[in-house]
Amino acid sequence: MRKIYLTLALLLAIVFGADAQRAKSVILIYLDGGPSQTDTFDPKPDTSRDYYGSYKGVAKTNVEGIEIGEKLPLLAGMADKYSLIRSMTHGSNAHETGHYAMITGDTSGGAIVYPSFGTVISYMKRDTYKGVLPCYVSVTSANSRFNEGGFLGNEYKSFDTGGRPEKTEYEVEGIVNKFVDREGLNRRMSLLAEFETLPMDKHEIDSLRAVNMEFIWGESREVFNLANEPDSIRQRYGMTRLGQSCLTARRLVEAGVPFVNVRTTGWDTHKKHFQFMNSMLPNLDKAVSALLADLDSRGLLDSTIVLCGGEFGRSPKIMWEPPWNGGRAHFGATFSYLVAGGGFHGGKVVGKTNKTGEKVVERPVRPCDLIGTVYMLLGIDPYGTLPHVSEGELPILPSLLDKKQSGGLLYEIIDIKKPDYEK
Amino acid sequence: MKKTIFIIIAYLSCVAMQTQASAQCSDEVFLRRAYLTVTGSMPSAQTAAKFLDDESENKRERLISRLLNSELCFKYMQMRWGDILRIKSEFPSNLWPNGVQAYNRWVYEHLMNNTPYDQMVRDLLLSEGSNFRAPAVNFYRGFQKRSPENFYANINLLFLGNRKCSDNGHLCFSQVKFKSTKEWKEEIIYLDIHKSVPTQRIVLGDGTTLSPKQDTDWREEYVRWLTSPDNRRFAEVMVNRMWYWVFGRGIVHEPDDWRADNKPSDPALLARLTDYFIKNNFDIKKLMKKILLSKQFASKAAPEGFYTPQRLPAEVIVDALASVTGIWNTYNSRVPEPFTFYPPRTRATHLGDATVSSTELELFGKVSRDVSLEGQRNNSISARQLLYLMNSTVLEQRIRKSGILKKICEENTTLPQLADAITLRILSRRATAREKQMYEKYMQQNSLTLRDLAIDMVWTQINSNEFLYNH
Repeated sequence: MRKIYLTLALLLAIVFGADAQRAKSVILIYLDGGPSQTDTFDPKPDTSRDYYGSYKGVAKTNVEGIEIGEKLPLLAGMADKYSLIRSMTHGSNAHETGHYAMITGDTSGGAIVYPSFGTVISYMKRDTYKGVLPCYVSVTSANSRFNEGGFLGNEYKSFDTGGRPEKTEYEVEGIVNKFVDREGLNRRMSLLAEFETLPMDKHEIDSLRAVNMEFIWGESREVFNLANEPDSIRQRYGMTRLGQSCLTARRLVEAGVPFVNVRTTGWDTHKKHFQFMNSMLPNLDKAVSALLADLDSRGLLDSTIVLCGGEFGRSPKIMWEPPWNGGRAHFGATFSYLVAGGGFHGGKVVGKTNKTGEKVVERPVRPCDLIGTVYMLLGIDPYGTLPHVSEGELPILPSLLDKKQSGGLLYEIIDIKKPDYEK
Repeated sequence: MKKTIFIIIAYLSCVAMQTQASAQCSDEVFLRRAYLTVTGSMPSAQTAAKFLDDESENKRERLISRLLNSELCFKYMQMRWGDILRIKSEFPSNLWPNGVQAYNRWVYEHLMNNTPYDQMVRDLLLSEGSNFRAPAVNFYRGFQKRSPENFYANINLLFLGNRKCSDNGHLCFSQVKFKSTKEWKEEIIYLDIHKSVPTQRIVLGDGTTLSPKQDTDWREEYVRWLTSPDNRRFAEVMVNRMWYWVFGRGIVHEPDDWRADNKPSDPALLARLTDYFIKNNFDIKKLMKKILLSKQFASKAAPEGFYTPQRLPAEVIVDALASVTGIWNTYNSRVPEPFTFYPPRTRATHLGDATVSSTELELFGKVSRDVSLEGQRNNSISARQLLYLMNSTVLEQRIRKSGILKKICEENTTLPQLADAITLRILSRRATAREKQMYEKYMQQNSLTLRDLAIDMVWTQINSNEFLYNH
């Protein structure tokens, strides 16, 4: 039976060629502030208290040989669904440059400001994506440390939902206005139509307003209405901001949205690191495991890339001394990313760090390698170009062209074969 | 025959242009246009009423003079300069909050004192010292890659409108060096004065040869050439930029893309204004006044007249929404350190730091100051912006909670009074008879109270083109 499937898959691959991409959407769960890799996806239990702190053990996963942090038992039960990159590195220890590197795949220091990869994907899909919902949605707010539009401008940046998905009423900005019902808005629109006398951009503005009416009262409203979801599912994600944001992300992807950014803050734990981890990791564990399981059971994981990580990691060595009294510092030399779905294999580990987790010893992965692989899975050429207003066409990922800035695309955890020219 | 037809056509288009330019806009339009252009803010209801009721002949000129000398004007122009100087705490300029504050103050003082343009540019480019104490040096700090080539490319873009420069004038900036201090984020910009003079001949785009001397500041010779009245391009670029700031379209367009094949749309106009600017010793305020008192600025909006309506810049819309409701946003920035907390009622146009933003500002296209191009400001209208105005809970709450709007409702107990008061506040004019009838019908059909009507009236007006555009 298995053989038949394989043959079928092979046939399909031949028919559709290398262009047949599986991924349709991306969910980025962004742990803003920089999460500790040694307490999550790259545990080092054989080190001393100076590194491992108050944690004692690890969580053995359902994949032989893979262990993750002891505070992530639910994710440990499903390691076959995701892979871990333990050798992420960009070397930057400052939030702004770390964010920039991780979200654009570019290295900072050049004169050109690159757009975030969500913006790039939104730009690339501008002609093919026809949904009513925006192409790029941030639940609940976008990353704020730099302008995500970069040289592509503001047009392709994310729609930020605002509101609180964990509350009874998720007031999505512009969609849910509890003061005005459908009749009320219709009434106002007719008054406005009569009031409007100035002709500029009239045709365009009228049609944009009509699109908005469809957006407010159409499918989108229901997508954001989490009350449509059975209580058991809501509970499974956790009734936290992160949990309900991940649930929103699933609903958006189900509705066809190509890029969803779930941003969660509070990971910049210079002080009281372990207290924070003890309260935050169970929420993360719950939310991400529920998302992966839910996507999988709906057959969406195959076409949805899930990424989870921050702008950098945290120092494996704990700062016990005052004023930190048990904190971890910014750390860009090594950090981890979880990747799943959309063509990424599950149950694999990419790269390796040394005994203390402070150095990459095997297969460094740079931000451009991860983002380039995501592009490839989406059918976007990672060696393609983007238009710049004054500089002409620029490479979509300049760092990928520089051997010193790239460790190579992640061919080891996807089905696409490495082309000869890259060998 | 052909010649005759040509002459007739030429004559007719001349006549057409004359009528176009002479179709004067109303006082209501002029007042609002002048305020939004010069100060980035709307006139208050009282100011509007006073101006409209003023019957003196020269009231437009008096208005322009008053506005040009107002704090609001200096602050708004500071924003324009901040955009092209890329004043920003964080990435990519990384000037840091203290540097941003000092740099903004430097710009502000020059605008307030109306420093001649050539002098201002000299101060900027010949600066030396600490980024916190000699603010103009931030010009040299705001680059991800601090190289003479990058400084020079930016100088060419800002002051000569060249997007590409092929000459080797950058050598004049090769003495600029940076030295850190023990103070957090303080840096000294100094000149390596003993560097040996370049062996290469420095030849500028127009053929001028510079020969910097050993043990001197080589920038001086370049800056003397740049800011000289003989270097007409220097004056032209500023004249054209000011025209662009006022009309949203340069005589040469884009205003920072001067090329032989990018011709001015009206060469005579550019020449006249440039002569005026040079003759008046690069007086920026006089130049601005000249443009604001031109027939073009007083003309009706297209297609009847010359003036092309422009969607208001992000900061201006956000401030206008705040001033309508009297509920102002609070701005702060917790990154980078030191934390910055702006006083309550700070206008978005006065923030001075592109790192400080809000969802609302981002939505309407606040400039991120990544590049020095004017075109970075995107003032086109989008579905999401209209969505926000149509159906945002945040905005709706501000309208409903607004104490000022409540007070207006209490003080104006008849529909015509109420309509006048609200329209003066939001659109700087009184309501027309047609509008009053419209509201009357609307109120009756939907059996609304005056208070309900007031809320829908505010909603309608802030959604209207008349509010969103400078027209």
